[in-house]
Amino acid sequence: MRKLVFHPERCTGCRACELACSFFNDGVFSPTRSRIRVVRIDEEGVDVPVGCLQCDSAPCMLVCPSPLAMYRDEGTGAVMINVDACIGCRSCMLICPFGAINHDPEKGFCYKCDLCGGDPECVKWCFTKAIEYVEDEDLRRAKRSEVAEGAAKVMLEAARLVKPGRG
Amino acid sequence: MPKLGGYAGQLLHVDLTNGLVKKLPLSKEACELFIGGRGRDAKTLFDQVPPETDPLSPSNVLCLSTGPITGLLGPTTGRVNVAAKSPLTGIYGNSNAGAHWGAELKYAGYDGIIVTGKASKPVYLYIEDDLVELRDASHLWGKGTYEATRILQRDHRGYDTRVAAIGPAAENGVLYGSLIFDYWDAAGRAGMGTVMASKNLKAIAVTGTGSLSVADPKRYAEVVRDAWQAVLEDPGFQTQEHAALGTLVVLGLGNAQGWLPTRNFRETVFELADEVSGEAFRDRFSTRPAPIPAGRACLSCPNRCKRFGRVTSGKYAGTKGSIEFEGAAAFGPKCGVGDLAAVFHAYMLSNDYGMDCISCGNTIALFMELHEEGILSHEDMDGLDLHFGSADAMVEAVHRIAKRQGKVGELGGLGEELAAKRIGRGAENYVSTVKGMGTIGTDPRVAKGFGFGFAVASRGSDHLRAHPVFEMIRYPPGVAEELFGAKEAGELGKYEGKVRLVFFHENMAAVTDSMGTCRFMHASFYAEYPIPEVLAKYVKPRGPVHSIKYHEWLSAATGLNFTYEALMKAGQRIVSLERALNVRFGVRREHDTLPKRFLKQPVPTGPFKGEVFSEEMLNKMLDEYYDLRGWERETGLPYEESLIELGLADVADDLKRRGLAATRIKGEEASPRKGRR
Repeated sequence: MRKLVFHPERCTGCRACELACSFFNDGVFSPTRSRIRVVRIDEEGVDVPVGCLQCDSAPCMLVCPSPLAMYRDEGTGAVMINVDACIGCRSCMLICPFGAINHDPEKGFCYKCDLCGGDPECVKWCFTKAIEYVEDEDLRRAKRSEVAEGAAKVMLEAARLVKPGRG
Repeated sequence: MPKLGGYAGQLLHVDLTNGLVKKLPLSKEACELFIGGRGRDAKTLFDQVPPETDPLSPSNVLCLSTGPITGLLGPTTGRVNVAAKSPLTGIYGNSNAGAHWGAELKYAGYDGIIVTGKASKPVYLYIEDDLVELRDASHLWGKGTYEATRILQRDHRGYDTRVAAIGPAAENGVLYGSLIFDYWDAAGRAGMGTVMASKNLKAIAVTGTGSLSVADPKRYAEVVRDAWQAVLEDPGFQTQEHAALGTLVVLGLGNAQGWLPTRNFRETVFELADEVSGEAFRDRFSTRPAPIPAGRACLSCPNRCKRFGRVTSGKYAGTKGSIEFEGAAAFGPKCGVGDLAAVFHAYMLSNDYGMDCISCGNTIALFMELHEEGILSHEDMDGLDLHFGSADAMVEAVHRIAKRQGKVGELGGLGEELAAKRIGRGAENYVSTVKGMGTIGTDPRVAKGFGFGFAVASRGSDHLRAHPVFEMIRYPPGVAEELFGAKEAGELGKYEGKVRLVFFHENMAAVTDSMGTCRFMHASFYAEYPIPEVLAKYVKPRGPVHSIKYHEWLSAATGLNFTYEALMKAGQRIVSLERALNVRFGVRREHDTLPKRFLKQPVPTGPFKGEVFSEEMLNKMLDEYYDLRGWERETGLPYEESLIELGLADVADDLKRRGLAATRIKGEEASPRKGRR
C-alpha cells in the first residue's frame, strides 16, 4: 500500500502542491481549499508540508458520529468522507492532529485528501520530491541505503581507500 | 462586465488623508490594453500623477499590483509590482518582488492597491478578505522590517499572514527605501519604500482565504503543463546551477567572463570572487547544504533561486536570511570586500533597515573611491575609514546611512547621483548612474546588450527592463541570427544585434511583469515561445518541443483572446506608455546614455581589457532603437502616430497638449520642449 510521505528538508515552499490540489479537485486556485498545505516559516527559511497521513487508527474515523460518513478505501487505503452522509459537525477536523481536514461551510460538509484515487496531483507538481507517494518498504529501503552508504564512506575513509571530502 | 478569469476582479483605493477605502471594479478594456501589474500601474500613474508632483508629497500615488496570473498554478506566479514617481530619480519609478504576498492579496479578493494621500499618524493597512482597515502603527514605526513583520504575523493570522513592510531607512528619508515582502523579498529599486513612508504607511498585512478561477480550466491545465515541461527541459535550467547555488551562481560566472563590477566599476574582475561566490555561501552558511535539492521558492516556482543561510560564528554570528547576487555584488566586489560574512551581514542589514541593497552598496562603493581619490577627506566621512576592502567601515556606513547619521548618513541617503552633485569637485565622474539610478552588478562595457538596456531603461540604469542574459550564455549562433538578426547578439563585447536583443527582451519583460510572472523563465532560461522551437532546429531535441506560450497562457486564464503578436504589441504599448510618462517627467534622448566611466574609461584588466562602450555606437544604436519603438530620433519623444497605433490615443492627446508629441506629418513641426532634468 503506497502512502504520501512529506520531506520538509526537501521542500522549497513553492506551494505548487496546494494550487494543484485545489485546481484538480475543485477547479479553482485556493490554498485554503487545498487538502495539503505548506507552512512557510519565513524567518527561519524553513517550509513544512502538512497533510493527511491516512493514519491506521484514524482519530477522525473513530470520532465521527455519522455511521456511514467515513470509510477506508480498500484500493488506496485512504480515509474517505462520504459527503452525502457527512453532517458537517467538524468533529474529525477538531481531532485531527495534523489539521488536515477541511470544512466547506457553504455546502455543509467536511472533505479531505483522498489520494486523488491513487494518483495524487500534489506529487506530480513537486519537483524536489518533498512529497512522495511510495510503499513503506521503498521508503525504508531508501533510508537504510542512505545510512549504509554513509557508514561505508566513513569506513573506507578510515581505511584510507578514498580521500576524505565533503561528499 | 462579465468577470474575467485569473483576475480577482477589483482594486482597492486607499485614501490615507481621509482614511477611506474604496473597492473599484477592473475594466475589461484596461485589462486588454495593459494586462495588469506593471502595465496597469504605469497607466494609473500617467492618469493620476501630474509631472510636477513632488514624489514625497501626499499627491504622489503608490500602486501595488498583481497580474492575472499571480496566484495561479504555473511556472513562477508570485510576482507583485510596485510603482510611484521615484524620489530617487524624479522620473517613473517601479520595482518588482516575488514571494507570496501578491498571491495572498488576490486570494483576499484584490488585484491591486492604489494608495493616495497621507495619514496624519503612522498606520498599517490590514486586509483579511472583505475586511480592509487602516490601523494604528505607532508600535511599529521605527522598527526594522523583520521585527515589524514578526509582530504583524503574531497579531494576525500567523504564518498565513503575508506582510509588506518598510523600515527605518525609508522613514528617515533615505531616497532608495525599499518594500520588504515576507522578510526576504525586496521591491528595492527606485525608492518605493520612501514614498510609502512619506504617506505614513508602515506596512500592508494580508490574509486571503478566497479562490481564483480561470476562463478555460482544461486548456489552462494543458498550457501550464507544457510551460512547466519547457522550463524543466530548458538547457539553462537543466544545469541546475540556480537550484544548486541560487542567483549567486552569477558572481562566479561574471568574474570568469570578465564583467563583474569591482571597486565601484573601476575593474571587471575581482581577485577575491571565490571568497564571496555561491559556492562559498553554500559551504559556509547555507542552512540547506547539498545534496538536499532545496533552495526556497516564490509561489509555484520550480526554480527555487532563494538561498537561505545563517552565520554561526565570528562577529556576525546570528546573521541570517536569503541572499541574492545583486546585493552580494554591491557589498562584495563593488566595495572590494572579500569577507562573505561581512557582505552577508551588510546585505541583511540593508533589508532590515528597508533600503535598496544595490543603491546602498553602490553609494558606499562610491564613497570609498572618492575617499581614495582624495575628493572626500577623512573629515568629510566623519573619520570613518572608508576604503575599498574595509568591511567594518562598510557595515558601519550601512548603519549610518539608514539612520542618516553624520555626513556619511546625510549624503549616503541621497544615493550616488545626488550625493555626487552635493559633493562636487569632480565626484560626478565616478558615479554609475543613468537617470539617477545606480548601475547593477554587470559591467556595460563588456555586456553591451545589458549596457544598451541600462541606457534606455524606463527606471534608469537597471537590468530588469531588458535582462538580455542571452549574450552571456552559449546558444548556437544560428539562434541569435534568426531571432535578433546577427550571430553576435549572443556574444559579449559585441554591438551587433544588441538593439533587437534589447527590444525583444524589453517587450517580453513588460508583458510578464504585467502578467505577474518571473523574469527568469523567459530571460535567464529561455523557455518562451518561439525560442525552444528555434533552438530545436540547431540542437536535435530528444522528444517533442515544449515552450511557455505566454499568449495562450494569458488567454486560457482570462478568456481574453491574445495572439502572440497581440501580446508582443502589448509589451511595446507598455514600454511606450512608460516612455510617455518619462517624457512628461523631462526625459529626452540626451538622458538615454551611459555615465562617463563606461563611455571613456577602458576596462583595465581581464578578458575584455581595453573595452569601452563606444559613444558613437551608442548613438547609432539609439537611432535604430527609436525607429523600432516609433520614437523620434532627434528627441526621443514618441511619435503621436505610433502611440495611436498602439492604442494609446489618450496618451498621445495628453502629450500633444503639452507640446511633447513628435509627429511624422510634414509641415507640422513638433515643438519638443527641452528636458528639465
